[in-house]
Amino acid sequence: MLKMAEPVTKQLCNDLSQIVGETGVLSNHQLGLYAVDDITPKAVVFPDSIREIKDVLIYAAENALSVIPAGSGTKLAIGNPPEKVDLVVSTKRLNEVIEYEPGDLTVTAQAGVRLCGLQEKLAENGQFLPLDPPYATHATVGGIAAVNSSGPSSLSYGTSRNRVLGMQVVLSSGTDVKSGGKVVKNVAGYDLNKLYIGSFGTLGIITELTFKLNPLPEVQRTILVPFSSIAQASTVAVEIANSQLLPIFLNLIVGGVPSVEIVDPCLVIGLDGHPETVEWQINQLQSIVNQNGASGVEVYDGVHQRNLRTSIAAFPERKPQTVICRVNLRLTDVEKFITAAITHGDDLRGLRVTGHMGTGVVYVSFSIPSNDTAFAQLASTVIAGLRDFACDVGGNLIVESAPRSIKQQIDTWGQIGSGLKLMKQIKARLDPLNLLNPGRYVSGI
Amino acid sequence: MMEKDRIIAGLSNLVGAENVLTDSTALSVYECDGATLFKAYPDVVVFAESTEQVSNIVKLANKHSVPFVARGGGTGLSGGMLSVNGGIIIALNRMDRILEIDLRNQRAVVEPGVVNLLLTQAVEDRGYYFAPDPSSQKACTIGGNIAENSGGPHTLKYGVTTDHVLGLEAVLPDGEIVEFGGYVEETPGYDLRGLMIGCEGTFGIVTKAIVRMLRKPEAYQTLLGVFETIDEASSAVSSIIGAGMVPAALEMMDSLVIKTVEEAFHWGFPLDAGAVLIVELDGIKAGMQHQAERITEIFNAHNCREIHHAKDETDRQNIWKSRKSAFGSFGRLAPSYITQDGVVPRTQLPKVLRRVAEISEKYSIPIANVFHAGDGNIHPVVLFNERDPDQCKRVDAVNLEILAACAEAGGTITGEHGIGVEKMDYMPLIYGPEDLAVMIKVRDIFNPSGLCNPGKIFPTAESYAKLGMEYPAV
Repeated sequence: MLKMAEPVTKQLCNDLSQIVGETGVLSNHQLGLYAVDDITPKAVVFPDSIREIKDVLIYAAENALSVIPAGSGTKLAIGNPPEKVDLVVSTKRLNEVIEYEPGDLTVTAQAGVRLCGLQEKLAENGQFLPLDPPYATHATVGGIAAVNSSGPSSLSYGTSRNRVLGMQVVLSSGTDVKSGGKVVKNVAGYDLNKLYIGSFGTLGIITELTFKLNPLPEVQRTILVPFSSIAQASTVAVEIANSQLLPIFLNLIVGGVPSVEIVDPCLVIGLDGHPETVEWQINQLQSIVNQNGASGVEVYDGVHQRNLRTSIAAFPERKPQTVICRVNLRLTDVEKFITAAITHGDDLRGLRVTGHMGTGVVYVSFSIPSNDTAFAQLASTVIAGLRDFACDVGGNLIVESAPRSIKQQIDTWGQIGSGLKLMKQIKARLDPLNLLNPGRYVSGI
Repeated sequence: MMEKDRIIAGLSNLVGAENVLTDSTALSVYECDGATLFKAYPDVVVFAESTEQVSNIVKLANKHSVPFVARGGGTGLSGGMLSVNGGIIIALNRMDRILEIDLRNQRAVVEPGVVNLLLTQAVEDRGYYFAPDPSSQKACTIGGNIAENSGGPHTLKYGVTTDHVLGLEAVLPDGEIVEFGGYVEETPGYDLRGLMIGCEGTFGIVTKAIVRMLRKPEAYQTLLGVFETIDEASSAVSSIIGAGMVPAALEMMDSLVIKTVEEAFHWGFPLDAGAVLIVELDGIKAGMQHQAERITEIFNAHNCREIHHAKDETDRQNIWKSRKSAFGSFGRLAPSYITQDGVVPRTQLPKVLRRVAEISEKYSIPIANVFHAGDGNIHPVVLFNERDPDQCKRVDAVNLEILAACAEAGGTITGEHGIGVEKMDYMPLIYGPEDLAVMIKVRDIFNPSGLCNPGKIFPTAESYAKLGMEYPAV
C-alpha cells in the first residue's frame, strides 16, 4: 500500500498554477507516479522556463516545502528514503536544444531534453553524445548529469564528468548561476560543473547543459565470447583491457541480461571505428581468446547487435522489488568480487552480475518478493557483506535501487571518507534551508 | 624576536634550517613563475618532504596568520604561485616520489613534485603513459598540473588533467589532511576531487595523487602542412572535424611563429609560409593510413603547398619539438611577452584570429599566434618591451580587447593557464556577479581564513573599474 500524503490543499494547487500555469501542475490522481520510496508528493510541477523554476523554488522556500528535482523520473529510486516529499519539480518541459553547431562538436540543451531525442538530432550530422545510461529512451540530459548516470561505454568515453562543459543551475535561493562555458577547454574559475554532476539534485536544479560530442563511428561490431568459468573470462578481460585493443565497452556478464538469451558467463565487447581497425581488433581478440583456451568469438552486427547493445545498456532494469547495487572496484578485484556475489545465487532470486571490465564498475541485481520481511533481512545482510568486501579492497558499494524495507536497514551510500565535513558545509551553504532532496544523499545530506 | 623571525624559527624547527630559504638572492628565484611580468617577494621559502610537514607548516602559518602558497616547477603562466602579500612559499619539489605503479589497474600514485614527463618515462618501456602533456612537461609537476587543470596539445582527444586524476590527498588550509576520490573509478558523495582540480591552489595543497595510466597507442601518424594563409589552415581544421575525425592533436603556428622558430632552430619551414598545421593521429595501426590519406586530401583541397608526413619516431619527435620549442624562441622577437590563452568555439577561429590581427595593427603591438586549433584554444603571444611605459599601456588595451573578443565569440579567457593574478581583472567578461559569488562561497568553505594563496582569481573593485563596469553589490 502506498502511504498517502495529506490531502492536497486546494491552496497549494492554486498557488502553483499561478506560477507554472494549470497545465504545469500534475493532476492529483497521477501523483502516485512520482512517489519516492512509497511517499506520494503533495504536488508535481512542470515549469517551462528558468523563470518558473526560480519562482517555484522561492515559493517552496517561503512555504517550507521540500523539493525533489526530477527529469523524467527514471532515477527517483536512488538514495535514502527522503525526510519529506512535498514538491516534485520536473524539468521535462524545458526541452529545447538551444545551440548546436556541428563544426564545434558541442551542443547546448535544456535539462529536460531526452537523450534519445537529442541523439536523433545529432545523428543527422553524423555525431552523438557518447553516454549510454540505463533508461536511455526516457532519461533527460539534466537527470543523467545530476546523478552522473553512465553505461558500458564509459570505458571509452567517460561519464558526464568528462563530457559536460558548462551548466546553468538554479540554486535553492532561486538564484540562476552559470558554471563552466560552451568551449571544450576552460579553466576560468572553479570547476563547479563537477560539484553539480552527481549531486543528485541536493544543491540546485540543473536547467541547461553544454556537452562535448563525438563523431559517429563508421562501423560497429559486437563480439560475444562464451567462457567456461568466471576466472577464465576475467583473465581474458583484464588482458584485453591492457592490450592495444580499444574496446568501447568490455562487459563480463554472469547470469545473463534482460530480453536476450546469452551464454553464461560471457564477455560482450563493443568495437567501433574504421572497418579495418574493427576487423584487426576482431582478429586480435580471437587470438587472445584462443591463447586462453576459450572456444571462440561470435561477431554480431545489424539488428542482433542492436538488440544486444540495447539490452546490455539497459541492465540493470529498475523495476519494483528489484535491488540494484553499483560497485566500484580495482579491475583486478572484480573477479573475486563477482565470485563472492554469486555464492548467494541460491538465496537471491534472479541474481545477475555485470562487470564493466576496464572501469571496474560492477552491477549486481536481484529481485525480492514483496512483503517478505525475512527476505529483506537476508538481502540486507548479503548487501552489507558485499559492501564490506568492496570496501576492504579500497572500493565501494552504492545501493541504487531497493524497496523501502531494505533501505530501512542499510544506508544506500555507505561510508563517506574524510571529505564528508566539507560536503556537509557545501550543502549547508548552497541550500541553507535544506529544501532540496532532504535526507536522501550521503550521510543524511 | 620579530614575528618574521619567530616564523622562520618555527619552520626551521619543523623541517630543519637547511630547508628554509630566507636569503634575498635565493628568494628572488621564487618571485615569479613563467608569467615573469608579475612579481612578488615571499618572506620565506620552505621545502617540505612529507604530507605531515606540509600540514605542520600550514598550521604554523595559521598560528601566525601569514599567507602561504604551494609551488611546484614554477612553470605556471598566470602568476598562480605568487606570494602577493608576502608570506610562505611551500616548495614541493622534494616530494617527488612515484609511490606506486600498478599498470594492470592502470594507476600510479605520485607525490605532487613529480615532474610530468618523468612519470611517463617511468612507465613507457612497459607501454604506458600519462596523457596530459603541457608544453612545459619537462619541468612542470603533477601537483602544478592538478592546481591549474593543465592541458596540452593532446587534449582534443584525451581531455585535460581532471580526466586523468582519480584521487587526491590534500592538506586543507587549516592543516587537516583529507582524501578525495580514490583508486577506483567513482566514490560516493560530492566530487571534491573534481572541485579541487583547477582551484589554483586556493582550496589547499595536494600532497598525493592517484592518476590514470593509459596504454601507449600502437601507432602514430603525424602530418605537417604548410599553408599560405591562416584562414586556409583554419578551414582545413574545420573540414577534418567535419569529416568525422578526432585527431589526437591539431596544432597551428602563424607566420611570425614559423619565422622565429625557423631562425632559432632551423627545422626547415619556409620563411614565407602563412601557417603551419600539425595533425597527429594515434591509436590502432590498422585503418590509420586511410585517415592520413583523408587528411592529405583535405590539406590539398585547402591549397596546402607542402605536406610533411613524419617518416619515423625521430621525425615525429622533431615536429613536436618544433611546436613545443616555439615559446623558447620568442625572446628573439621582443624583450617581453605575454601569452594569452583564450578559447573560442572552433568555428569562430578564423573570425577571432582576424580580430587579433586587427588589434595588433590598431595598437602597433606585434602578436604571434601558436595554438591548439582543434580545441579552439588560442595563444596570441603579445610582444613588447616592458621598460617602455607607453607600450605597456597599449599592451593592457590589447589584452583586454583580445579576451573580450574571445568572450564575445562565446568562449572563455583561459583554457589551460589559469586566472592567477594575470587575468583576474577580466573575469567579469565571462561571469556575472552571482556566478562569482557561488565560487567565492565555495572557496570560503575550504579556505575561511583566506590565508591559502590569497589575491588570486577573483576580480576586485579596481578590476570592474578597469572594464568600465559597475562593482556589483553581491
